[in-house]
Amino acid sequence: MSLCLLDEDSFRSSCKLLLQQSEELRDSWTWEPGSSEEGYLKKIALKSVVIDSSLKWNLIDDDEGEAADVCGLSEGSSSSQVFQYEYHIVYSCSYRTPALYFRACTLEGRSLSLEEVWSSVHPNLRLRLKHCPLNTITQQEHPLLGQPFFLLHPCRTQDFMRPVLQAAHQQNRSVNYVLTWLSVVGPLVGLDVPLHYSISSSSTKPD
Amino acid sequence: MIIVVLMCLKLMVLLFFSLCNLAVLSVCEVTMASGTSEAGSSDLKLQFAPFSSALEAGFWHQLTQKKLNDYRLDESPKCIKGYYYNGDPVGLPTRLTLEFSAFDVDGPTPVRCCPAIGTLYNTNTLDAFKATDKKALLEKEAKEIWDAIESGTALKDPSILCRFILLTFADLKKYHFYYWFCFPALCFSEGIKIVQQPSVLEQVFSAKQIAALQEAYDDLCIKRGTTAVPYFLMKYTDDTVRMAPLGDWEAFFTDTKKVTVGVYDPCTLSQHPGWPLRNLLILLAYRWGSKLDTVEVLCFRDRTMQGSRSIHHSVIFQVKLPTFAPNSACPKSVGWEKNPKGAMGPRMVNLSECMDPKRLAESSVDLNLKLMRWRLVPSLDLDKVINTKCLLLGAGTLGCNVARTLMGWGVRHITFVDNAKISYSNPVRQPLYEFEDCLGGGKSKAMAAVERLTKIFPGVNAEGYNMSIPMPGHPVNFSQTTLSQAQRDVEQLEKLISEHDVVFLLMDTRESRWLPTVIAASKRKLVVNAALGFDTFVVMRHGLKKPLVTGSAPSVPGSSLFSNIPGHKLGCYFCNDVVAPGDSTRDRTLDQQCTVSRPGLAMIAGALAVEMMVSILQHTEGGYAVASSSDDRMNEPPTSLGLVPHQIRGFLSRFDNVLPASLAFDKCTACSPIVLDHYEREGFQFLSKVFNSSHSFLEDLTGLTLLHQETQAAEVNHPHTNMYTNSCRPNSCS
Repeated sequence: MSLCLLDEDSFRSSCKLLLQQSEELRDSWTWEPGSSEEGYLKKIALKSVVIDSSLKWNLIDDDEGEAADVCGLSEGSSSSQVFQYEYHIVYSCSYRTPALYFRACTLEGRSLSLEEVWSSVHPNLRLRLKHCPLNTITQQEHPLLGQPFFLLHPCRTQDFMRPVLQAAHQQNRSVNYVLTWLSVVGPLVGLDVPLHYSISSSSTKPD
Repeated sequence: MIIVVLMCLKLMVLLFFSLCNLAVLSVCEVTMASGTSEAGSSDLKLQFAPFSSALEAGFWHQLTQKKLNDYRLDESPKCIKGYYYNGDPVGLPTRLTLEFSAFDVDGPTPVRCCPAIGTLYNTNTLDAFKATDKKALLEKEAKEIWDAIESGTALKDPSILCRFILLTFADLKKYHFYYWFCFPALCFSEGIKIVQQPSVLEQVFSAKQIAALQEAYDDLCIKRGTTAVPYFLMKYTDDTVRMAPLGDWEAFFTDTKKVTVGVYDPCTLSQHPGWPLRNLLILLAYRWGSKLDTVEVLCFRDRTMQGSRSIHHSVIFQVKLPTFAPNSACPKSVGWEKNPKGAMGPRMVNLSECMDPKRLAESSVDLNLKLMRWRLVPSLDLDKVINTKCLLLGAGTLGCNVARTLMGWGVRHITFVDNAKISYSNPVRQPLYEFEDCLGGGKSKAMAAVERLTKIFPGVNAEGYNMSIPMPGHPVNFSQTTLSQAQRDVEQLEKLISEHDVVFLLMDTRESRWLPTVIAASKRKLVVNAALGFDTFVVMRHGLKKPLVTGSAPSVPGSSLFSNIPGHKLGCYFCNDVVAPGDSTRDRTLDQQCTVSRPGLAMIAGALAVEMMVSILQHTEGGYAVASSSDDRMNEPPTSLGLVPHQIRGFLSRFDNVLPASLAFDKCTACSPIVLDHYEREGFQFLSKVFNSSHSFLEDLTGLTLLHQETQAAEVNHPHTNMYTNSCRPNSCS
């Protein structure tokens, strides 16, 4: 059903609209242009996670005794670690839907394995998310960057978008495909979509 | 509808974040407690929170590309760009972030972030990295900052006050990256005295003033054509706030009794400013220190949470600046980042998992297999499959197809045994070989198969053995050499079978399956056997004998001749035969000796053999599982993947498979107790007798001869059938 498919132009206009709202809400989505017309939406979010102290540090001891700095605040080693989550919304030509690519890395830039990503999610939630029917995560090369990313597989996107789009169609209501989709899939991988997006979008007409 | 969906998810997300925040809070309490204890002492000195370096995965990918394509052996310093942000939630470290765009110095900076320009020193060796004079690098950078302060260029472009150095060594063989950041800061030897302690803005400013401040800052940004201003000057009354860029100092401040400066502050601690303020205070002290009484500092922090923006948590305090004598030398400087142990030293990050293509292939293969578990077969035990060590006897059409299907299942340990070389007719049917492999007499199949497997998937642990398997009716006693060779082959085969979990019989003759059948039965190894006829095939598991120690096995109720046969009572390939294996290649025409089967057959049979193994592995009883039959197709399957048949017999002419099951035969020439007993007691002596003798040796031993005689006697009246040939069974050609 064509209603549930998203062509590339609509994807871009949907993204543009989302970007405008992101700007208003001071959310940090940005449009990263690719080679020609193509591009993707990107957002980086940081999360501080308490971890066990079994950190795999490989250090070279090289104490070069810099003069003591009275003005520098020396931070005690904390039991928390900060992970940088990178989310990309890329158009999937084969599924004709948006696709959510993501990766997480430590502050040294080491990408986390999927297991590590899961272990950073609270156990209660982990269980729930793992049994979520939408949750088909795989690893793929980013279509525009050529770097390994995790991908929330778009094979079921149409299934859950259909009722939303049909209902909106019947009520003659406009829907920002990318935003609605993101509000469903984002939270599965820890991506927050503030409710304000929907509140402000009800007053804006896409296309 | 959307709202409802959103609300539900919202709840989940809120839960998620509140949990995260709890964690964050506990960390912060520690830091803040130390902050307040400092505030209690009488002589208060200002302390700055250092930057923590934050690198994104993309930065290392880009550095790798630059090193390989642009820099190569060039070690000269390179200009790069990072950025910092003043809108972090409490608890995050004060970061200077470098992402893949770091090498594009003229590229855009993320909105509402301040750029920081840095110098990259990428060395060619680890030794050069270690030997680099860090003190000299820091002093060079500090001198540039000091010069900019003296000359006044820092006033026009204050971004020079917030610079960094990055020293790296990229080991691109191991994907290990060594790095050390430095955030140069000039020092006041006596520190900076706090006159008025840091307070949160909302305790000092009225709501009206805060609103005016926010508006003034936004105006300044618009005027400067940017989304973040690192340093600014500020004047305020009860209801107005005015701002100006740093360079407008002389015009903006007419009275220098008390001035207010603003700094875009990436720190989230309530008692401390971040690093960018340090060099600004040096600048102020150098240029106006003697005229200034106190300096009021606004650490401007601007965050948006859930769509609502706030600057209330900005921090404001007053300090008394020391003064510099005119023509002072460059003050001493600090700034090399401590490692996570809190000591001075570089860091190393191992990125092989996300950059080494071989590691990437491995994790992708495993992740793709796990997709099956997410939804379709949640209870699938993939580790059991992946960790199974498979021995493939025969690397022909069946062997190639079995190997490929095993790779598809992520099986890592695959061993080939074959004594043949690749011939010109092979590559079209044997998918691990190519035309080139046939040249010059042909490569050894076992070795070529290993090579190709490793090419397809470097994560595989494949081995090849170019060796013959001694066979009944194929004498080995021509000379001492042939005899000892046969003995070595037997020993090698015994060793291989011991070392593996599953033995696949994929050879092209019936008799070559005898020895591995005997050895595997004796060693209680699971055997999966596949054999092809012209358009028929059989794929079967051999009955897995009970371990010797358990003695007599309890009989399973309801077991009959053809149904509900437990795994240990199932027959082997030879159980249905009443002739012992012998030389089947003698007196045969070429079409009878060679693979003459429909080309699709080997792929079907090879795939089924592996799928059968996987289903067996998923059964709680493994090889002891009761055999499923065609009748069980309607019943609840015994494993998450379905049935565990004894045999799959396929008929391509009818595109049909049946699932027969049959009991082990007590006179079997391969797995009967008497054969196993002789093998276990006499070893090679017994085996060589089998190799060197005709059919009758095994038939006499097992009692088949007697059975023949009895049957022949009974058949005297019905001479029209010859049930002893195996002409209608799928033959052993592959």
